[in-house]
Amino acid sequence: MSALDSERPAALRPQQITAAALDEKIWLEGGAGSGKTSAGLARLRQLLAAGVAADSIALFVPQRSLAEPYLQALRAESGYSGGIVRAYTLGSLARQTVETFWFLIAEGAGFAQPQALPNFLSLELVQYFMTRAIEPLVLEREYFHSVRIERARLYSQILDNMNKAALVGFPISEIGSRLKAALGGGIEQAHIFDDAQTCALEFRRYCLAHNLLDFSLYVQLFRERALMLPAARARLSRRFRHVIVDNVEEDNPASHAFLEQLLPGCQSALIIYDSDAGFRRFLGADPENARRLRQYCDRALHFGTSQVMSAGVSALSAQLSQHLSEADAPLERESDAAPALHWEAHRFHPQMVDWVARQIAELIEERGIKPRDIVVLAPFLSDVLRFSLRERLAKRGIRARSHRPSRALREEPAARALLTLARLAHPRWEYAPAAFDVALALMAGIAGLDFLRAKLLADTLYQRGRLLPFHQLRSAAAQDRITFAIGERYDQLRAWLDAYIEAGGSDAIDIFFRRIFGEVLSRAGFGFYGDAAAGNTAMNLVDSARGFRWSLEFMRRYDDSLDLAADYARMVDRGVIANFYLRDWVAEDEDSVLIAPAYTFLLGNRPVDYQFWLDIGSEAWSRRLYQPLTHPHVLSRGWQPQAVWTDADEAALNRQTLRRLFLALTRRCRRGVYLGYSELSESGYEGRGLLLECIQALLRAAARESADV
Amino acid sequence: MPLDADFAFSQGSLSDYADCARRFELRYIQRLRYPALEVAQALEYERRTRQGARFHKLVQQHALGIPADILAQSLQDDAEVARWWQQYRARGSADLPPRRHAEIPLQTQLGGYRLLAKYDLLALEPGGAAIIVDWKTGARVPPRQSLARRMQTLVYRYVLARAGAHLYGAPIPPERIQMRYVYVAAAGERVSFDYSREQMQADEALLLTTIKAASAAKAYPLTPQESRCRFCSYRSLCGRGEAGDLAEFEFEEEEAQEEALSVDFADVEEVEF
Repeated sequence: MSALDSERPAALRPQQITAAALDEKIWLEGGAGSGKTSAGLARLRQLLAAGVAADSIALFVPQRSLAEPYLQALRAESGYSGGIVRAYTLGSLARQTVETFWFLIAEGAGFAQPQALPNFLSLELVQYFMTRAIEPLVLEREYFHSVRIERARLYSQILDNMNKAALVGFPISEIGSRLKAALGGGIEQAHIFDDAQTCALEFRRYCLAHNLLDFSLYVQLFRERALMLPAARARLSRRFRHVIVDNVEEDNPASHAFLEQLLPGCQSALIIYDSDAGFRRFLGADPENARRLRQYCDRALHFGTSQVMSAGVSALSAQLSQHLSEADAPLERESDAAPALHWEAHRFHPQMVDWVARQIAELIEERGIKPRDIVVLAPFLSDVLRFSLRERLAKRGIRARSHRPSRALREEPAARALLTLARLAHPRWEYAPAAFDVALALMAGIAGLDFLRAKLLADTLYQRGRLLPFHQLRSAAAQDRITFAIGERYDQLRAWLDAYIEAGGSDAIDIFFRRIFGEVLSRAGFGFYGDAAAGNTAMNLVDSARGFRWSLEFMRRYDDSLDLAADYARMVDRGVIANFYLRDWVAEDEDSVLIAPAYTFLLGNRPVDYQFWLDIGSEAWSRRLYQPLTHPHVLSRGWQPQAVWTDADEAALNRQTLRRLFLALTRRCRRGVYLGYSELSESGYEGRGLLLECIQALLRAAARESADV
Repeated sequence: MPLDADFAFSQGSLSDYADCARRFELRYIQRLRYPALEVAQALEYERRTRQGARFHKLVQQHALGIPADILAQSLQDDAEVARWWQQYRARGSADLPPRRHAEIPLQTQLGGYRLLAKYDLLALEPGGAAIIVDWKTGARVPPRQSLARRMQTLVYRYVLARAGAHLYGAPIPPERIQMRYVYVAAAGERVSFDYSREQMQADEALLLTTIKAASAAKAYPLTPQESRCRFCSYRSLCGRGEAGDLAEFEFEEEEAQEEALSVDFADVEEVEF
């Protein structure tokens, strides 16, 4: 293997890749902004231009958003005829493969009904079935009673442990012993880990008994069984003859093991590794393990410094990073970070939000910066922060988009309205909605009806779980206030619900949603008429409810006491399902300011001119989430079985996490960073996190230097 | 709002445009998802659609080497799909060329846009026949003239002629191509269409005209033929009647879409607990 270090201008770097022979396997490493993905795109185009069959080229990424630059380039490719380049994540590949070869592997894997179809569980359904499978046990034996976290969150950590076991490659029966050995603490803590272990095994037993496949199970089947089948291996070899792997450092040991099996038989490969990344540890990312793949490559290339950062941002990046890597070392002062750093201290959180909006307006209006080149980042993005910032920007005529990959459907007004109407339409559920929810549903469902009048209608005409006719509103003043035009629409909606109830209702809740949408709510005069967003939300709710029904219908062969529709409505309300809904249907306004959690922005992998870092006092910038039932490091591949996780490890991890984050953010920043700081956080607490500490050290050093001058 | 420059046409989107320009605009330009029912008998419609998908999956599994007897054992819960499977086994694939590709997508360029086709099965013999097999699970076989005019017949043959060289070992002469619809729910009845250079030129002209019209239209008017709205989920948006009757509905298998990665654990964002 030969190593070639490159400090060429970024524009020339892709040429190093395209100069390589078509049958070479290349390891490409470099920081963010050094041109690696551009090189990957150049390689892809080169393969296609050379006549390599597109369906023998595979893109392999840890997360689907990371394939987007390649897919966009392929969509824009003109003049090409042939097959299709496919993009895979480990999850998508494992699921497709297990589904295809199910009948050859199910019996050996221990499924109770190997001749019946498998039921792959979506993110929302896995949470639901976990609840069904283990809740009786949890209640009966009083598991986790000392842990003060919502039960749904506990269950998701048990799932997380199972996923880690599958991705790292240890049996789920070792989860408890690994956690106890490293984190054991007192007897109570040991019991919690034992209980988490019992629950994981119970859920696995339940899945095997009912042909259910959660992520951990189908990844395990893929690794241990599907890949052993000659037919499956042959199919994968055909599809992965040429492979481009991007962000391999963000992927997990199961992906790396799969690539290790594959690479010797590939005709060509380009494996791209981002130095100083590895942000997805909570999802099993293992950047150290990824380096094992380098040995399968014919040569290694290194793309040097970032071509994105200005001198000021570059200095800021170096100084912040240095502060965290060697706290006692003197800071380098090759260039001045001051021109790239902007900040102002505030007492209260809303003042900080005001300041951010003002600075953004100034950048756009006075300095001609495009909204798309500005991003506002926080460690976590609360609804309050998102709303208040968007509102302030909107007042200034600035468009913003707020990206959260998932959002609970019940938070969408259209979905809430549909769920409330479903409860009204199914009195047999004995689950009548509150008058307040009825008012919201009427407001959303009837065009031109504001909340005050909707509340008046609900308060007077919603009685004992049913809506009364409009003419029973006795007060003429109230009728006038609501207007007869609105009253007529209200009556149409009420009459539709009554007719539905009289006809005995439907036992398929998604069909109910579709009917009331198509026959009433989307008609002229009603709230969803011509409303694309409401249509899309309703469609997502239909998809969710249908997926639920299909899975539960599937379960009826085992348990015919299930009441699907009522169960669905209750589970949505509890936040057990419809809780992670990808809103990929949203046609985002790309030329707008992005407001996003920091890691979401990073995984979009797109540089901007200016970044605003909010809530810099928050410990969440560096500290792990509180997860008492799991631990990303103890359940990682590199963890030594008998080692103990100490407070010093935790502190070192926090520093390392923040350093990586600094590097990653600044390498995606061209011109400057604005720091949003308020003494009191959104919830009224004083924050003294590690990020604030670093920034203060940096500012003190700069002040001293300035005084010396 | 213009059509995205990287939009990929398919037989489904072209059929939609030919049926109703407004539907094309709503579905592919505005990308509006609209959950109104296509047919009044929603659950029965869904059952049939899922059976169709299950049958197609079986055929794909068989093509990938899973033994037929193992697949047949999985059909004990659905006698109808089991019958289709028997038809497939008896008449479906015995006389096809040996090199087979199941569920394979191909693409070419036309009028500055991509044109996509996803095939149930391509059976090829280098230098010999190139047969496109499309399994249909609807019980009614449409008249031959209707099938001949169908966008699927035009698009599938044309895309294979333009984009199938890597599978065939050389550019495929149009006269080697045959499109074969097999109606497994109608006793395995076959309707086949040969191809020729002349037909390809005529199809190309028609496809090009349609693509240009769909991509450059200033307006996307509603179809004047209201009967086409009966099975359209946008009809409430357009104020056009009620859901159609399943008995009159002609089942089509799923539209070819660009493959999307599924959403899974890896796409979950870290959330505050």
